[in-house]
Amino acid sequence: MSSEGAPAIKPVPVPDEVTAPFWEAANRGVLAIQHCEACDYYVHPPEALCPRCQTPDLEFREVSGKARVYTHTVVRDNVTAGFAEDEPYVIGIIELIEQERLVLVANVVNVGPEDVRIGMPLRVTFERLTEDIALPQFEPDGED
Amino acid sequence: MDGFSGRAAIVGVGYSKLERRSPRPLAHFAREAAEAATADAGLTIDDIDGLGTIPNIAAYGNTGDLEGIDIVTVPKMSQLLGREHDIRWHVQTPGLCPDTIMAAAAAVASGACTYALVWRAVNVPKGRYSDFSLARAAGEHQFRAPYGFTMPAAWQSVALRKYMHDHGSTREDMAAFIVQNRENTQLNPKAYWHGTPLTVEDYLDAPMVADPFCLYDCDIPVDGCVAVVLASAERARDLAQPPAYITGHAQTTWPTRGGFTDSENMWDGGTAMGKKLWASAGLGPDDIDVAMLYDGFSIFLYVWLEALGFVKRGEAANYIASGATALDGELPLNTSGCSLGEGRLHGMAQIAEAVLQVTGRAGARQIEGAAHTVATVGAGSLASGGLIFSREARA
Repeated sequence: MSSEGAPAIKPVPVPDEVTAPFWEAANRGVLAIQHCEACDYYVHPPEALCPRCQTPDLEFREVSGKARVYTHTVVRDNVTAGFAEDEPYVIGIIELIEQERLVLVANVVNVGPEDVRIGMPLRVTFERLTEDIALPQFEPDGED
Repeated sequence: MDGFSGRAAIVGVGYSKLERRSPRPLAHFAREAAEAATADAGLTIDDIDGLGTIPNIAAYGNTGDLEGIDIVTVPKMSQLLGREHDIRWHVQTPGLCPDTIMAAAAAVASGACTYALVWRAVNVPKGRYSDFSLARAAGEHQFRAPYGFTMPAAWQSVALRKYMHDHGSTREDMAAFIVQNRENTQLNPKAYWHGTPLTVEDYLDAPMVADPFCLYDCDIPVDGCVAVVLASAERARDLAQPPAYITGHAQTTWPTRGGFTDSENMWDGGTAMGKKLWASAGLGPDDIDVAMLYDGFSIFLYVWLEALGFVKRGEAANYIASGATALDGELPLNTSGCSLGEGRLHGMAQIAEAVLQVTGRAGARQIEGAAHTVATVGAGSLASGGLIFSREARA
């Protein structure tokens, strides 16, 4: 699975005009999700216009970091640079408790791949990738 | 009815050989398919004055896009055919082939061109499939690549996991479809997996790629090309083969939010598309004799069977397991083996087989008396499309 030579590093997010506040917050250890102030609706991934009411009145709100496993996969035949050492690893589609079907992608960490279940309660944790970037990740939340 | 109502037809179908990691350039596969489709219609290359294709590379990530090797664009095809001075109309539509087919159908129906050739040429990219080796994840990549979520099989496997959880289906249920599909494939000499049967045990024991997807939940990447020729309904009547009239179509603008993170979105988008598809033809699921539903990944069969209303939400797995979609069932499904059995042709396998069935040319797998067939392409959300073909111009 591994490529030749030095171990590849994982892809590093490149914040842009729309997504920068998400990554700035994550870098401070805060999960902040874009929210439409006009129609009271969380949006992720961030967009330039609210996908529901089409206004640009979008702000980032700190959320609880509490979530559930919406669904997930266990990758055993990885193709992403930097992940060879991690196999098998769990990619979770994580549903935040703030809104139905408000989902983001994260690895489900600190739990064996076979123990991850749909509906499992999770809480956010952060994985430092570079000096400027920390990835929101999710781990089991003991308080069922 | 506000649809296209049979004003254009597919009048020829042509395949290149389907191989893997062939030393031949993709351009030669494209020319082979173009010549076969044109000959099938009883035409010559010099009759072709319209060209349409989907010029995208075959894989997600950062593979190459060398003309003639990884892609075959309209300018290259016009050269391959020696028609640089004669093409009156062309289109290149990034996305999926129903978009291109409908553009070409409108072109021949309007007279913008007389005979339009539409093709999709795909290769097996070098290296491992869908390698993602970019060090920086910008744009749509930034919320998934840093998590190792770069493989299309992984994007879709989460949908099967959720389906199994929500509806109580099992891998054994999916095995029933995969095995049935491989049986159909044995009746299709063009197919990559022709000559290679598969058992339930083979499926259940196969290597997991992105659990719950194993190897056989994923289509088989090939080097190859499928081409079709379109003509107006008037001209179609006088050609070599019976016309497959386009009597219904739908395309969707439904966004793929977050890059397949919320799998329910596939059903939402597919259901919206299905309503448009049936309305365009004045037909419904009960009118369809054979269905060719997109199967780049196995879960799409469940999406489309339910989104088009062949069964209710959550019933697709049981429906397939009951035998209803076998060649002798009430809704023969993917009779050629399509992407999972014939090869990864991005929906052209569906369109080609829907045409062959409705024109009575599907050989050993022909469903007798097929009057209306349907083909869908895509995952239900963005860029998905559907076509209904009928033996008569008026559905």
